[in-house]
Formats: sequence, C-alpha cells, structure tokens
Amino acid sequence: MAKFVIIGERISATAPSINKALAERDPEPILKRAKQQLDAGATYLDVNIGPAENDGEDIMKWAVQLLQGEFNNVPLALDTANKKAIEAGISVYNRSKGKPIVNSADAAGRIEYVDLAAANDAIVIALCNGEGIAKDNDERMMYCQTLLERGMEHGMDPADLWFDPLFLVTKGMQDKQMDILECIKMFSDMGLNSTGGLSNNSNGMPKHIRPIMDAAMVAMCMMQGLTSAIVNPNDLRLMETIKSCDVIKNNTLYADSYLEI
Amino acid sequence: MPFNQKPQTFNAKINEVTIGSGEKAIKIGGENVFPLYSFDAPIENAPKVGVEITDMGFENACAGIKDYYAGCATIADMAKKASEMEGADFVALSLEGGDPNGENKSVEELVALVKEVAAAVDCPLVVEGSKNVEKDGELLTKVAEALQGKNAVVMPAKEENYKAVGAAAGLAYDQIVGCESAVDINLAKQLNVMTTKLGVKSESIIMNVGTATVGYGYEYVVSTMDRIKGAALSQDDAMLQMPIITPVSSETWGVKESVASEEDMPEWGPAEERGISMEVMTAAADLAAGSNAVILRHPQSVATISKMIKELV
Repeated sequence: MAKFVIIGERISATAPSINKALAERDPEPILKRAKQQLDAGATYLDVNIGPAENDGEDIMKWAVQLLQGEFNNVPLALDTANKKAIEAGISVYNRSKGKPIVNSADAAGRIEYVDLAAANDAIVIALCNGEGIAKDNDERMMYCQTLLERGMEHGMDPADLWFDPLFLVTKGMQDKQMDILECIKMFSDMGLNSTGGLSNNSNGMPKHIRPIMDAAMVAMCMMQGLTSAIVNPNDLRLMETIKSCDVIKNNTLYADSYLEI
Repeated sequence: MPFNQKPQTFNAKINEVTIGSGEKAIKIGGENVFPLYSFDAPIENAPKVGVEITDMGFENACAGIKDYYAGCATIADMAKKASEMEGADFVALSLEGGDPNGENKSVEELVALVKEVAAAVDCPLVVEGSKNVEKDGELLTKVAEALQGKNAVVMPAKEENYKAVGAAAGLAYDQIVGCESAVDINLAKQLNVMTTKLGVKSESIIMNVGTATVGYGYEYVVSTMDRIKGAALSQDDAMLQMPIITPVSSETWGVKESVASEEDMPEWGPAEERGISMEVMTAAADLAAGSNAVILRHPQSVATISKMIKELV
C-alpha cells in the first residue's frame, strides 16, 4: 500500500491573512504557510481561494505558479467553487510531482467537476453527498456509484477519484461517526481511494482537545482504509499518529527515526 | 484480446550519484523502474562494474587473477592494470591489511598506499576499509582527506562509526559515503537518516545493504534489496533512494565452492572455474535484485558481467 497522502489545508481564504494575501498578491504569508506544512510532512497543498468570482482565474494561476516555483513543483489541490479558476490553475500546473487535484465534486450541483478533472487528466475529490447530508451509508454509496460511473464514462482511472465520505461534527452528530468509518471501509473494499476534511469531526471542541480527537479519528480511519486526508500538518500529535499508522500498515518502512522524517 | 503492455514506471526514482571526476567519472542510479526493467522505461544509467584489488596483493589468488597482474611490482601498478581490465568502470581498493586482528598495517602506511593508487589510475576509485569499525573510524577519515578532489567512494560507514566516516568523507572532504548495514532494511534506512542528519547530502550517499554468496543465506540479500527498491520507488521513500553498491568478490572467493582444491574435490572440477561461477552468479543475482554497482575480482567475471549488463540495458 502507498503511504497515506497528507493534503495540507492551511492555505485557505477562510484565514483572514491568506485571504488578504491572495487579494493583494502578496507571496510572503502564503509561502510561509506552505513551507511550514511541507516541512511538517505534507505531500499535497490545498489552495483554497474561496469563491473568487471575479478574478479567480488570475488568482489561481498566480498561486499555482508561486507555490510550484518556490517548492520544486509541489503537487496541489485546487480548491474553489469557480470552475474556470480551476481550469486556469491546471493550465499552468507542472505535474512532475503528481497530478493536480480538483477539490471538489459532489453528486448534485458540482458533479461537473468530475468532467473537468477527466478532461484535464486530474484527480478529483468526489464528495458522496447530494443535496444536504446523506442520511445513511446506502445513500452515500449511491452517490459514490453515481460519481464513479460519471468518471469512468469520461475515461477516468477509478484511482483518480478520491471519495470523501464527508466527515461530520461529533458535537451534534456523535451517532453518525461509526457510519463514516464504515463508509470508508466500503470504499476500501471496492479498491477506491478516499480522503476528506477529517478535522471537521472535532469542530467546536476546545482547542486542546482537537488534536487528540483528530489523532484518534485518523487512526481509526486508517484502520478502515482511508488513503488520504485534508488536515493541518502542523498538528504534531496528528502527524505522529499518521506516521505511526503508516508504519503499522506497512505503508512505510520503519526506522528508529521515523518520526523525524 | 490484444496484449497491451502497461509500463510500470514510478514518479519516484533512485538518486543519481556521480563517482570520480573528469572524463572517466561514472554515474549510478537515476532509474524510475525496478532493477534492469528496461522494458518499462530506459534505465538512466547502466549498473557499473568495479575491479577489486587489495593492499595485501594476490599471492594466494587463483592463476587467472595472478596471471592478469603478472609483472606488477607495486599495488599502484596493479591498480593501473585493474583499471584497464575489459569491462571495468572503476577500481576498488580494499585495505584489509589494516585489520588489527590481521596484519594491522598503520594508518600512515595505508594512506600512503591510497595516494599512490589514486595517482596511478584515472578512473573512479572506491576505497574499502579494514572491516574493523574502530580502525576504520580513523583510517577512512584520513583516506577521505588524502583523496580530496577525487570524488571517491569511502566505505563503509557503519552504525558504530558513521559520524566519523560520514563527517570526514561526506562533509569535510566532499567524497561519496558508502553506508553499510548487514542485511537489515530498518537499519539501512536508519543509517541513511542519521547520515543525512549529519548534513551529508543524499546525493553523496550510496549504500551497501549487505552481501552474501549465492547459497549462503543469499535469499535475505535479495529480499532486502527488493524491499528497499520497492520502498524507494513505490513508496517514494527518500531515505532509501540511494543507489546500492555491492562488494561481491570478497565474499564469493572465500566459500568452499571457490576454495576447495580439485585434488580434494575432483568431482567438482577445476577450482578457478568454480570461483568464477560463484562470483558471476552472485553478481548477476545482485544486479537483478537491485545493485547499481558490483565489485568483482576475476577478469573473466568482470568481462561476463559487463557483457550481461550491456545486453540487458
């Protein structure tokens, strides 16, 4: 099995400093967060430029070239509701270190993001969601099938659809957590890749609790066969857990210094 | 259904390491496919063959080796002759005479010899220590210093002495560090991690992940190399992407199949032929399992293995 793929989530327009940097094309705050995440062990970096309705294409091109230029063509997940901006980003993307990831499609209004990924030989995060949160795993798997068929109709390799069960917040939907874990197992049994915004499970919890909850969650998810997650790589406890699980799963070869690399 | 070949190439690749300087410098590694899988993608650099000589000379060697070096008055003469052997890409000088449990030659004497050899050859040079970790900590440090500008391989750096050997060869004097572990994948990786943490560039590290003669626990060598190349390529493990160098002859010429005389074992046939067979079989298996360079002694083995490489790559 391949090593767990860590997609660093910290370049996001939801953070005021990044939002400002994107708007002003100020490289420094973006590069700083990129370096922190890569040093901590991120493989991919998510580039969330927000809805970016006006100048999304320019912003995405600028961000892709900035990050890939500075960090040896680091692979990126292009994250925005603006489809044209994703296409613009891919048009300047260097894929020597990995295909771009389109973040994200769902089984309802955003299903065309699958087509976009197919047309550009990209990976797509396929959120198993329709209108509103799926009520159970039957519904999730129905969406999974819809997305998978859509991708294959357009000639995609199933391995390039990374299925997202949609992590749910524990405070409020505690009774749904095992469903998510079972859903991941179903993806895994079908041989599919999977990912998702894992830390959503600890949303609303006290700051000192979140790394503990996220670490427990990622370990259980990896046991179920999750192959990737969109997380904060600068969460040390989480990263130590992922590295340890990668060793236990034989995804990476053990060495005494495995936590330091 | 027609057969559609799906080339198995990887996004990751083995590090390319340059050994030696000037026109005859060689490159090993650089491939993004499994060993010798040239049908999946071109092999960036063909595996290389080194010819081993030793500070002890070849008095007890078989006729074919002795004949080849006939007329050589000094070890430096032998080095020159070795570099001219058909199929030779580099010369490996073993300093086995430095072993405190053997001849225990002094560091000064051996370093002087290394200098003479380096002056006599224009091909890349590999210097192998005395097999005693304490002695090598001192000896190889001085060897690295004496070879400044040669971009030579200095080996082995082991768990016990990697700090001394790695710092001298990899940091102070810009040589290539050969990290040695004994058929232990976890230690192979750990040694690379620690050597890298010293500050040695990963492009200045090659590894000897252990060696044995075919028939002597050899399957452990194969599984170790297999696992390492698998991790390096399919898991993109940067701490295992160093090319592999394997000293073959020092093992194979010591086993009973190579040593027993024809008088003692008439049914086995001539000893020299057996010795060559053991050396060739082991080297071929090493290359198929993942060695990017092998070190041999017999001219016939060197010619055979280099021909095999040419045919396959």
